[in-house]
Amino acid sequence: MAASSDTVVTPSSLRQAFGNVFSLFILILIGVLAFSIRLFSVIKYESVIHEFDPYFNYRVTQFLTKNGIYDFWNWFDDRTWYPLGRVIGGTVYPGLTLTAGTLWWILNSLNIPLSVETVCVFTAPTFSAFAAWATYLLTKEVKGPGAGLTAAALLAMVPSYISRSVAGSYDNEAVAIFALIFTFYLYIKTLNTGSLFYATLNALAYFYMVCSWGGYTFIINLIPMHALLCIVTGRYSSRLYIAYAPLVILGTLLAALVPVVGFNAVMTSEHFASFLVFIILNVVGLVYYIKGILTPKMFKVAVTLVISAGLIVCCAVVAVLIALVASSPTKGWSGRSLSLLDPTYASKYIPIIASVSEHQPPTWPSYFMDINVLAFLVPAGIIACFLPLTDASSFVILYLVTSVYFSGVMVRLMLVLAPAACIMSGIALSSAFGVFTRSIKFASIGKQVDAGDTGNGVTQNDVVKPDKTEEPPKEKASRKKKKEKENVEKTPIVAKSERRLLMLPMEASVVAILLLMLLGAFYVVHCVWAAAEAYSAPSIVLTSHSHDGLHVFDDFREAYAWLSHNTDVDDKVASWWDYGYQTTAMANRTVIVDNNTWNNTHIATVGTAMSSPEKAAWEIFNSLDVKYVLVVFGGLVGYPSDDINKFLWMVRIGGGVFPHIKEPDYLRDGQYRIDSMATPTMLNCLMYKLSYYRFVETDGKGFDRVRRTEIGKKHFKLTHFDEVFTTHHWMVRIYKLKPPKNRIRGKTKKSKSKSNSASSKRSATRKKNPWH
Amino acid sequence: MAKSSATKDAQALLHSLRSAYASTPTNLKIIDIYVLFAIFTAVIQVGYMAIVGSFPFNSFLSGVLSCVGTAVLAVCLRIQVNKENKEFKDLPPERAYADFVLCNLVLHLVIMNFLG
Amino acid sequence: MSRALALLALLSSFPFLALLSNAFSPENPTDRRVLVLLDDFSIKSSHSLYFNSLQTRGYDLDFKLADDPKIALQRYGQYLYDALILFSPTIDSFGGSLNAAAILEFVDAGHDLILAADASASDLIREIASECGVDFDEDVAAMVVDHTSYAVSDTEGDHTLIAGDNFIQSDVILGGEKIKAPVLFKGIGHSINPANSLVMKILSASPSAYSANPKSKLSAPPTLTGSAISLVSVVQARNNARILISGSLSMFGNRFFRSGVQKAGSTINHDKSGNEQFVTETSKWVFHERGHLKAVNVRHHKVEEAEEPSIYRINDDLEYSVEIYEWSGTSWEPYVADDVQVQFYMMSPYVLKTLSTNQKGVYYTSFKVPDVYGVFQFKVEYEKLGFTSLSLAKQIPVRPFRHNEYERFITTAFPYYGASFSMMGGFFLFSLVYLYHK
Repeated sequence: MAASSDTVVTPSSLRQAFGNVFSLFILILIGVLAFSIRLFSVIKYESVIHEFDPYFNYRVTQFLTKNGIYDFWNWFDDRTWYPLGRVIGGTVYPGLTLTAGTLWWILNSLNIPLSVETVCVFTAPTFSAFAAWATYLLTKEVKGPGAGLTAAALLAMVPSYISRSVAGSYDNEAVAIFALIFTFYLYIKTLNTGSLFYATLNALAYFYMVCSWGGYTFIINLIPMHALLCIVTGRYSSRLYIAYAPLVILGTLLAALVPVVGFNAVMTSEHFASFLVFIILNVVGLVYYIKGILTPKMFKVAVTLVISAGLIVCCAVVAVLIALVASSPTKGWSGRSLSLLDPTYASKYIPIIASVSEHQPPTWPSYFMDINVLAFLVPAGIIACFLPLTDASSFVILYLVTSVYFSGVMVRLMLVLAPAACIMSGIALSSAFGVFTRSIKFASIGKQVDAGDTGNGVTQNDVVKPDKTEEPPKEKASRKKKKEKENVEKTPIVAKSERRLLMLPMEASVVAILLLMLLGAFYVVHCVWAAAEAYSAPSIVLTSHSHDGLHVFDDFREAYAWLSHNTDVDDKVASWWDYGYQTTAMANRTVIVDNNTWNNTHIATVGTAMSSPEKAAWEIFNSLDVKYVLVVFGGLVGYPSDDINKFLWMVRIGGGVFPHIKEPDYLRDGQYRIDSMATPTMLNCLMYKLSYYRFVETDGKGFDRVRRTEIGKKHFKLTHFDEVFTTHHWMVRIYKLKPPKNRIRGKTKKSKSKSNSASSKRSATRKKNPWH
Repeated sequence: MAKSSATKDAQALLHSLRSAYASTPTNLKIIDIYVLFAIFTAVIQVGYMAIVGSFPFNSFLSGVLSCVGTAVLAVCLRIQVNKENKEFKDLPPERAYADFVLCNLVLHLVIMNFLG
Repeated sequence: MSRALALLALLSSFPFLALLSNAFSPENPTDRRVLVLLDDFSIKSSHSLYFNSLQTRGYDLDFKLADDPKIALQRYGQYLYDALILFSPTIDSFGGSLNAAAILEFVDAGHDLILAADASASDLIREIASECGVDFDEDVAAMVVDHTSYAVSDTEGDHTLIAGDNFIQSDVILGGEKIKAPVLFKGIGHSINPANSLVMKILSASPSAYSANPKSKLSAPPTLTGSAISLVSVVQARNNARILISGSLSMFGNRFFRSGVQKAGSTINHDKSGNEQFVTETSKWVFHERGHLKAVNVRHHKVEEAEEPSIYRINDDLEYSVEIYEWSGTSWEPYVADDVQVQFYMMSPYVLKTLSTNQKGVYYTSFKVPDVYGVFQFKVEYEKLGFTSLSLAKQIPVRPFRHNEYERFITTAFPYYGASFSMMGGFFLFSLVYLYHK
């Protein structure tokens, strides 16, 4: 890229070389920025793995580094989902684990003795730097390096992505976003160059994406959509064929190699679109080829012939396909994907999907929180993409539109939207800067040299930008496809008139640039705030500020440490599934259900136990060989995401499988409450009892700080459970199942036999009553 | 009446197709034969699968996809080395061929992996 | 010393024996030291035959008055006795630190108890019995009266001396020799909850019996009638502690031992009652001289392998064996039965097999692991009337096939292999032709 072949004008080529070095430097800085902005969590808290899923990934990585790849592949984990067990190798997306494992292995073979945990903690920031660079590449393919740099800088800081990739957030998305952007980049690159080499790389990048995240279906649907769009709008080119056809074949094969995907790569509806488009593309390719070698008249004849014959065949095939798909109950779509298409699907049919907060539709403030000013720049970016519309820019537009839709369905997919928004905003910002600096430059040229100096002074901040305006002519020869050629021809000629047209008054330009920079500054401030305050909490350690200083709640680790030190290795711990991964990873104890919610019945069993009265719950847990029950209770310190607040989901999920659990039994007039107005079912269920057992001893009133009310039933005893451990702030409470009674007591109550003989006589007479 | 005109059209079409195709360079014709061979093998396998059922599904999949993949890659090569295609004027055929070989290597490695 | 050894043995054989009683030595389950609590020392002589039989069988009896302030069951957290005989029906509160809860704790620690109540049984005794699942008639003055199967005596009496012959059918509890003469019983009756699986009536009243105050007229129908009345019951707690509860203290006494018996309506006059045989045999059972099983050496391995694997694969063939012995009072003898079953269990039994035995204590079987993966358990739940219950569970995970354990080179797939390889060959051929065609 560095030295262009047609170096006719020395100063301009020098400036290009300078610009390239400069952009390389900026890219490195962006990488550093992306990495370091994510370190707030390590600085403010400590270097730990965050949240829930990362603990599982961490545990898997540990296993991988200890036992090697083959054992990992065949790992049957008997410590989760007791007694079903889980085939980890076949149900996990191995990309992240393998990445971190490889990193660890490389570092250790270089004699850099980092622990697995450290590597895991810093994987996400590292890959966010890569993602920023991939964004640069992608945007450069679409709109040139200026836009690329801007987009990369935006992406490095976008809060939505930070929320998923702070140090310690060791989750699939951490590497998947990089893989996603890089796959898109290679697709665009292939589309622009038509090189099979890039097509191969593209398939491999797609493979990496499939390894990393279930979100790969987004790619395998978006790219066909784009291909179809190109065909429909008459933009078919042989480059499209080269970019698309090998990707589908190789990509499908590679995806089928990943155990978790396997035959799904060809069997489920999510992938059908790609095959359909593949067929269409081949047909269209053939048509174009025949059109090329035939005279127009003969071609017309061929078309009529083929259409009449082909239509019948097509109808038959489509009918068969529809029949096949419709015969399966879910129409071949998995629940999560269905809820993407029909946002109400999950809440209607699958409480377990709906129960996860990140599967809920986002609220409007969350858009502002997560992408901030980008939301306003995106429309401008779309407009910039339309002038001129190339294959690449149409792809970016399509990407944006679909991801906006998906993010509106599921808040988690905001993450997919973030790169699209960054690319669009990058394009918008750089075009705007381009226009303004150009008009300043022209105005200053028109106005004499000294005025030009001040103008340059302003532009100095964006040296890249003037460089970028020079970009189109600099495009490499290899990119000389039709559209681009138009573009190239257009620029020198049209440029002047365009420039004159687009020329703005100098004052307006300066003000506009200042405003834009202000906007950028606002964005940066917001991002840093989000990274530092909003998204860096590890959620296993909580802090709160109050008038008497900082409070640290380290109850979770306290409880898990207690479990690992005070219970038998083979003991089973039951809790709601949120805490399953942490229990297996931190306490190393067998759990009944965990965050990999693959077996609804099993989760419903635990939900039912939690919503049953003590005796029934004891029986359920005992049948599962459970020794300990763990509940999370926030009522004392005001931790809102505790089990009582999740309890309705337990009831719903339990009731979905075991109909004797009915949600209305737990609601008083449709209201969920735990105070004295609560229903008896609620007050007698296990979750209530385990949460509030002895709670009244803390303040004498039993005031729940989360629900902001006094609890309904304050003094009660547990008959089938023993409290064995409660953490410092009562956030985690661990109960042990009482063993079955050694003796079975007779009918006579203890109190009765203790009382004097007169009363026993009385009770004897009372007992006789049935005889009369 | 309509039928006879249609057959006449079809004959004319075939004729013109044949004459147009005759002018194709030999190397492209070799590729075409190769593509046809691959597609033919794929069709045979699908037929075989329809008879014996889809039990070793991975084998079936790799068998068919290796044929389709080979065909697609060959078509890509054909597009790139076709002198009449102006989009790839700058791409030397040697480079195109090297890419093709790389792509095939990847394809067949995956197939080998998936076959058993 | 022996206790330390026992502890060692316990630890080494932990999974199998933890569920057995752990209070006495698992190697020698018969009790040794017995505390006898009496209302007054006259009982010692009036029941001397019973106590002598125990002493000759090797028991170390320690007689104390029930209100002796020095009685203590444990010292420094160690129990001083292996069993307790409560022949103090009238005691209202024990001396020393002893109370009902302490006695129940003693039982829950795996120790045995013989409790005899009487017509004047105190609330304390009733409470202990009731905690064990035996409800004495709540009417304190009530006694068991039977106008048809009473023991014929010189005086007509009020028919409270009962000749019971309604024994439980169990050789383990009552010994191999049949008790021919009826057992004399004079005391209060009790009832047990039929849903309670731990309590067994070993001597029940005849259908014509009822429980009421014999001195007063019946004002209302009695609460306890017929064969629902149990005269003597045994309890085997979940930890295999054994308890004998009798409504009559005098049935253990010398007088009843020696006296002849003739059941009303029967012409046979036994010159010796069945009491001695009955109470001696039941005391053997209660003190674990009989019916105590242990299971050791649970082994499982793949067929034709000796090592015990840590994990099985689906469809593996495995062999399972366990050794079961019965305590004979002096040594462990092989236990012989044909009804021991093993389950291969994951939420429900996937495999249920009756074990075959070699008559020398070893039970074995072999089966195929089901085509389901998960965490399974080898479960032996053996509960037989009169025997201590065996409950063995051994966890073993079953994994699916490894990636390289699936079948390869399937014949039907040969065309596909052929196609794939022909494509590879075709690629080389094509390369040659393409590169050298000019």
